[in-house]
Amino acid sequence: MRRSALILTRLALLATILAAWEWSPRMGLLNAALLPPLSDVLAMLVSILGRSQVQEAIGVTAGEVVLAFVIAMPIGAGIGVLAAESDYFGQIFRPMLFYAFSIPKSIFLPMFILVFGIGFQQKVAYAAFSTVFIVIMSAAAAVESVKADHVLVARSYGATWAQVLTRVYVPSMLPFLLETLRIAMIFNLTGVMIAEMYASRSGIGQLIASWGENFQMPQLFAAVVLLAVVAIAFNETVRWLEARCSTWRT
Amino acid sequence: MQHVANLSGLRATHAQAAAIEVAGLSHVYGAREGTVPALEDISLTVGAGRFVVIVGPSGCGKTSLLMMMAGLRRQTSGTILCAGRPIEMPDPGRVGVVFQEASLFPWLTALDNIEFPLSIRHAPREERRRRADAMLNLVGLAGFGGRYPHELSGGMKQRVSIARGLVQDPPVLLMDEPFAALDEQTRMTMGHELLRIWSQTNKTVVFVTHSLTEAVYLADEVLVMSARPGRIIDRTEVTLPRPRTYEMMATDVFGRLREHIWQQIRKVT
Repeated sequence: MRRSALILTRLALLATILAAWEWSPRMGLLNAALLPPLSDVLAMLVSILGRSQVQEAIGVTAGEVVLAFVIAMPIGAGIGVLAAESDYFGQIFRPMLFYAFSIPKSIFLPMFILVFGIGFQQKVAYAAFSTVFIVIMSAAAAVESVKADHVLVARSYGATWAQVLTRVYVPSMLPFLLETLRIAMIFNLTGVMIAEMYASRSGIGQLIASWGENFQMPQLFAAVVLLAVVAIAFNETVRWLEARCSTWRT
Repeated sequence: MQHVANLSGLRATHAQAAAIEVAGLSHVYGAREGTVPALEDISLTVGAGRFVVIVGPSGCGKTSLLMMMAGLRRQTSGTILCAGRPIEMPDPGRVGVVFQEASLFPWLTALDNIEFPLSIRHAPREERRRRADAMLNLVGLAGFGGRYPHELSGGMKQRVSIARGLVQDPPVLLMDEPFAALDEQTRMTMGHELLRIWSQTNKTVVFVTHSLTEAVYLADEVLVMSARPGRIIDRTEVTLPRPRTYEMMATDVFGRLREHIWQQIRKVT
């Protein structure tokens, strides 16, 4: 299929879904109380974005997401690199990391509440915890993607260890690291949302939970649209960078 | 014949200076249960400007020996001299290395790959570009500098590898089965190309291969190594004249040399 035709088809699909969202509740095919029409939801989105309560919630959630991310990324990357580069460390800790990775992280949430309460710290701690394992795994995979031959070539031309790092490791790993960044953000955002919805006094997740409990569907869907747009925008930006840095990956 | 005799006489005087001297080299791998001797008492001299090929069964340590000559691995005992001075660590000014296939950096263009050794020692951009362009021309890839490795054929990739090995103009070029992954025709063509490049640049080449035909076709001298522990068990002077042609492969001399080397390898495997 030609590229322009492909894009047109994709846009047509998106338009169909949005049109169905708009018209099926209006025509009585779906219960408008459960699924409000798209135009109502967008109008509500504009309205709630003007409320100071919602703006504060966005600020709190954004703070939690960024902080948890900033904590989880370096810790996870450090452990992952260590596990992949050091035989000693890797052999000891690798099975443990695999076990820990396989456990659903949400079952630890009550423990985080007991330790950290239900404030900002608990959200950040839980989100960082639920993100760090995927970062460890991806970082280890990124290091393992570096070919021993390439390191040997660089050394044969007299590269110092710093040069091997910047000229071989970093470019080899860059596409994988961007992928890690992207997937980690998905886990991170999920972690913050779950923590906020489960027990919280602030944040978008808490608003979504309470709107749901009070059957305020337009508000609920407005928040869903907002989060979806932010998550997709982040994901696609990193994916675009990934594609630019990995034209050589075939 | 007169012409040939003159040529070999010329080579003999040229070969008086040794480019590489290996003396009493042994290597032992530490294994879980005791140690494994890998290389045993290897001594050899490679005259300047000579093309020496090392053949031997798989696992005989020929690649290890080459890596030691490159300063990428340390031997247990013995010395390696290059231009009279010991090789103890990689010295790209004295020794260039061409590895097996797929050693190009896939995230760099052909030109940037060739420039890599120069950029490691922070050569000025202008000099880098000038040298790399000259190398690209030498290996017959003018106009392909902007291509990425995955856009090049197997033979072209190895041309880039050779260019990268030569870009710092080292007197010695070590080649570790550089054409092993190529198909037969490409391999022949690349061997022929390598001889052209060699004669244009006056390098000393040490070339490791599995292919006896390749060995005889390329070499001034073929060294045969035994299975582990690797020792040098035969040294055959290839008396075919230069420049070599494909037709020589059909001659009796070529066949006899190839057969002789094959018999040496058979004895030890």
